[in-house]
Amino acid sequence: MINFDNVSKRYPGNHEALTNVSFKVNQGEIVYVTGHSGAGKSTLLKLMAAIERPTTGTVLINNQNVSKVKAATLPYIRRQFGMVFQDHKLLYDRNCYQNVALPLMINGITGSDAAKRIRAALDKVGLLNREKSMPISLSGGEQQRLAIARAVVCRPSILIADEPTGNLDRNYAEDIIALFKAFQQVGVTVIIATHDALGNANYANKVLHLNQGQLLLPSTEHGNGRIEVLNIKTSNTEVSYKEVLP
Amino acid sequence: MKAWLNQHAQALQLVLSRFKNNKLNTTLISLAISVSIALPSVAYVLIDNLRALSSQVRTDSQLSVFLKAEIDDAFVQNIKANLVANNGIKAVQFISKAQALKALLADSNADLAFTALDKNPLPDAFLIEPKQFDNESIEQLKQQISQINGVDEVVVDGAWIKRLNYLLALGNKIMLILASLLAFALVAVIGNTIRMQILTQRDEIELSQLIGATNRFIRRPFLYAGALYGLFGGLLGLILCALVIYLFNQSIVPLAAEYAANFNLHQPTFALSLLICITSVLLGVLSAYLAVSKSLLKSIV
Repeated sequence: MINFDNVSKRYPGNHEALTNVSFKVNQGEIVYVTGHSGAGKSTLLKLMAAIERPTTGTVLINNQNVSKVKAATLPYIRRQFGMVFQDHKLLYDRNCYQNVALPLMINGITGSDAAKRIRAALDKVGLLNREKSMPISLSGGEQQRLAIARAVVCRPSILIADEPTGNLDRNYAEDIIALFKAFQQVGVTVIIATHDALGNANYANKVLHLNQGQLLLPSTEHGNGRIEVLNIKTSNTEVSYKEVLP
Repeated sequence: MKAWLNQHAQALQLVLSRFKNNKLNTTLISLAISVSIALPSVAYVLIDNLRALSSQVRTDSQLSVFLKAEIDDAFVQNIKANLVANNGIKAVQFISKAQALKALLADSNADLAFTALDKNPLPDAFLIEPKQFDNESIEQLKQQISQINGVDEVVVDGAWIKRLNYLLALGNKIMLILASLLAFALVAVIGNTIRMQILTQRDEIELSQLIGATNRFIRRPFLYAGALYGLFGGLLGLILCALVIYLFNQSIVPLAAEYAANFNLHQPTFALSLLICITSVLLGVLSAYLAVSKSLLKSIV
């Protein structure tokens, strides 16, 4: 589904955000991208979502080479993704309903079909009774859920979330992770970037751990068990991971 | 096709609702545009009226062809045939020297002086009504006729017509320059307005691009906004223009009546109004396109 082959991304000013990253994400997987701030998580997600193009290497998304396609094709590749941004990027000049309506408008879906989908998405994140509220009146957790509703309203095959639990307390964070898992259950590929693996201790899937733009543990496959090391929040994250693996 | 129409309807709806939320702004911008539209329109209508007026006068204008004194009747007939054959000439009237003298004696008191002469000093003459009255055709006709054998002199009656023609051409030029300068102003006003709107919708544009909106999708509402500004401005401009002409007429009609003339400025025709509106809309779309393209180029992706 998503295939990175020797991908590097260099920003102007010679700052290399990612160096020779290779991995593969299969359909229906739940993948965690971890690493401290500045490790390149956001860059990795942007490359995955065809928001940016790699400097070198190939990024294949559903067999489309992001580095090669025409600029006019990129928007159509992006539509395969549901994006939950780190800063939510909610539009504060319109209510919840209209916020969720935007991706449908972009996809040319309007009218009663759109209304049905918007309500379904809001219902899924538990905000159906707030559809007329303005985003500014929502709590942090609710805003996060609104952003998720907007990401899933087009029924994307891949859901990408950048720090979805970043500034939420633990209960909220668990709610959100459970929500993502529910989407995975119905076949959606879920990719979550987080610097805080603690809240996600119960995961049982692939981890892409980044350190200074390099993939330290490429495509680490865990079993179905718990991750035993809980002390992932410390500065020395990669060490904590290494302890888990045989 | 239906989806395509739907997208356009959606963009239009969005723009209209934005306009509704910013009534004051929209009105002010439309007013600014309408002034840019009204000024050259009024100028054009005035010049058009003057031109109509001058062409009324011109039907009275003629060329007088004076023949050499010594030629005989057969020669005169020959010249007449020559003139009739010329396709730049509408009508030819012959005035013999005897007729001319009679007319002169009838309306002048100088009969004594003329009767004192033993011979009619006047030449035979033709009065010619040309088909076309612009400066070049008349000049050309004059050249042609003066080359005919036996013609002494060709005089164009009313040199002021020529001057009026030059003045009208000058007025036309001034109007065109005014119109193009104001068209630039219009592009600047609309472009700047759209740019401001883009700035206020920066977040929405960026987000839309991130989640897969095409440039066309992002551009569309702004193009509609530009077109609508153009349309509103054009219509308001026409109303302003009509109002100005109406006010002018209130002074012109009594003035013309003093000269025993029945003259008033006519309002812009339907075709002209349509042309003005279409131009205004096109300029609106153009300036919006320039503004959005510039900001899309600058955007992150």
